Amino acid sequence: MPAAVNSGDPVLRSARREMFVTFGIFLVAVTYTGIYCGLNGYGRKVESLTFVLGFPDWIFWGIVVPWSVCIAFSLVFGALFMRDGDLGEELPSEEGGL
Amino acid sequence: MSALSILSVTPLIAQTNRAGIGTLVMLVLFILGSMWIGLLANRATQGTSFLKGFFLGNRGLGAWALALTATVQSGGTFMGFPSLVYAHGWAVALWIAGYMVVPITGFGILGKRLAQLSRRTGAITVPDIFRARFASPTLGLFASLLILFYMTAMMVAQFKAGALVMKNAWPGSGSLALSEDEPAFKLSKERIDALEKEKRVQKVDGRDVESPVLAPPILGAVRSLEGQGFRSENELYSALATGLSANPETKSLPPKEVSRIRKVVKVAAKQLDLLYFVGLVIFTVTVVGYTLMGGFLAAVWTDLFQSIMMWVGVLLLLFLALWHVGGMEQATLQAIQNTDPVNGSYVFGPGYDSSGSGREFMPIGLACSVFFIWVFSGVGSPAGMVRIMASESTAVIRRSIYLLSFYNACIYIPLIIICICGRAMIKDLAVSDEIIPQVTLAVTNFPGGSIVAGLILAAPFGAVMATVSSYLVVISSGLVRDVYQRFVNPRASQNQLRTMSYAAMIFVGALAIALNIEPVAYLQAIVVFSGTGAAATFCVPALMLCYWRRATVAGMISAMLAGAGTLLCMYVVGTLRIYGDQKIGVATDFTPYYLFGLEPIVWGLLVSLIAGVGISLLTNPPPEELLCELFDGDKPTVAA
Repeated sequence: MPAAVNSGDPVLRSARREMFVTFGIFLVAVTYTGIYCGLNGYGRKVESLTFVLGFPDWIFWGIVVPWSVCIAFSLVFGALFMRDGDLGEELPSEEGGL
Repeated sequence: MSALSILSVTPLIAQTNRAGIGTLVMLVLFILGSMWIGLLANRATQGTSFLKGFFLGNRGLGAWALALTATVQSGGTFMGFPSLVYAHGWAVALWIAGYMVVPITGFGILGKRLAQLSRRTGAITVPDIFRARFASPTLGLFASLLILFYMTAMMVAQFKAGALVMKNAWPGSGSLALSEDEPAFKLSKERIDALEKEKRVQKVDGRDVESPVLAPPILGAVRSLEGQGFRSENELYSALATGLSANPETKSLPPKEVSRIRKVVKVAAKQLDLLYFVGLVIFTVTVVGYTLMGGFLAAVWTDLFQSIMMWVGVLLLLFLALWHVGGMEQATLQAIQNTDPVNGSYVFGPGYDSSGSGREFMPIGLACSVFFIWVFSGVGSPAGMVRIMASESTAVIRRSIYLLSFYNACIYIPLIIICICGRAMIKDLAVSDEIIPQVTLAVTNFPGGSIVAGLILAAPFGAVMATVSSYLVVISSGLVRDVYQRFVNPRASQNQLRTMSYAAMIFVGALAIALNIEPVAYLQAIVVFSGTGAAATFCVPALMLCYWRRATVAGMISAMLAGAGTLLCMYVVGTLRIYGDQKIGVATDFTPYYLFGLEPIVWGLLVSLIAGVGISLLTNPPPEELLCELFDGDKPTVAA
């Protein structure tokens, strides 16, 4: 989607940047999990199964680990990257006639 | 723990009554607690603007309320999902893996900007914000109608779920299923046992002779149907005929006798009995009652309450289940032994298939596209958007991301582990929806355990209640704010708006009861259809609304129509089996067509994006004076 020509609003600027980063995280997560699990969780013989911390190996590396990374990233994203901003004055409610 | 000792916990079905009483007590506590929360919410909104207080909680949602209610979905998470894990194994972890990014996408994609725009435009509902951003009452009405359609479909279906959970909690109901869906006919063991004892009186040579209602060979055929669900009389009769024809003694019964047997079996198998209707009425009165008292805040606070109860229950159950089976690795190995020891399909993709029909539950392409369902159903849900609009500040949105990240990880991964332990403990459960109750009963067999069991078993009822109440708020706000106030009585007073809001909620509750007298058959599938339909309809328009100043009214309407139309077409093609049964995904009659093996939401979003951007670029740009007020930080305004 084309970017705005004039983005003077600081909340809009930071929200748009965070939106792109968020989409990026989503794409990385789905790509990694899809590829890893597709390669290691399908078409295997039961004899090849190993466990990591009690999880089947492909579940651990393909889902549990990226899930943990996403939690860690959420902390970093919320604490360091996402900016607080003034959401602005609210318009008076329109009750009783528009 | 040896395999033998693991399997020794399997005979659990007989403990139904203990579960029923514990669950019923917890249900009553849930109902009382919800009413109390409704009263508190009512007090909290006194003395403020009615619409903003009743439908938006005066924009005062904190981080806990926002995090645990905006994207945490319906009771289905705790009903249908465990059943899938039990049935198909570890591959279901892929089905739910999208939740790893839901916290960050749910609040990071639209959160801050949506909260800002709703304040700048004074919007109270989602259609409000569409209308104000584009100064177009037509777009507002259009969004309103689509939201009403999706929300009503989802909400009416959830009433059935609430009634069923209530019915199943009744001591002696004979069921432990926490299913959102239930077939119209099902023969439980208890009902067949009762049939076995029933007698009838016949005239033989002028004398009254007492004989069993169903003779032993016929009863044998009936027993073969135990635990199976049938969506229609015809399905039931067809299965019964198959059972009868399998035995030479019952193969050639006279038509009159077959007709009599059919009637007896139909009455015994009918699920929508008096308990269902009592459950439906109690559920409706409760949920409409507390939502009427406290509006949006009551819906949010009860949602928060049940989310915390569920969190406690799931973690407790995880600990007990793992302790019971001797660890996760042991559970997986035993589950493999109990299912498919040769190929180990229970632990690999595309998942175990007990029917042997060749259905692949989760091929990798489908698994990747399921990521889109959870992520965009959260982003595009009108109920979720309203909660973001109600958030107090950007700091609240930020903190919600942390909280929800931990919450999701503590709910979904443990639920999978619990159900894998369940498969290790119970080799072949006739009704897989019963897995959570069965595991709960197995591991709480200690003093005071019934309270824990009751808590875990009753929590889904709270989840359904919270879901329904939030939909009630969205639907009644749509009717009152977006239809009545906009088009019928623009100068309505606060008292008139209050009266209309209460009337709208009561009307919706009555409508839900009426529509559930003969309820929908494919409840879970309808919930998924409505959720993904709303996402395909509103995600792209919401992004355009927030971030793209070149978006036009025609582009927005096109994006909504294209997303909704694409999804609908794929459901029509799939349900009518125009290209046959693809044998992937969840087995149900109301199913979409998976083009290239992908979930329809992917195509819905793509077509919506192309239509929205394409039509916007082909039509005249919106007036700059409107845009600079919303995009450049100038003085805020509201559409005329």
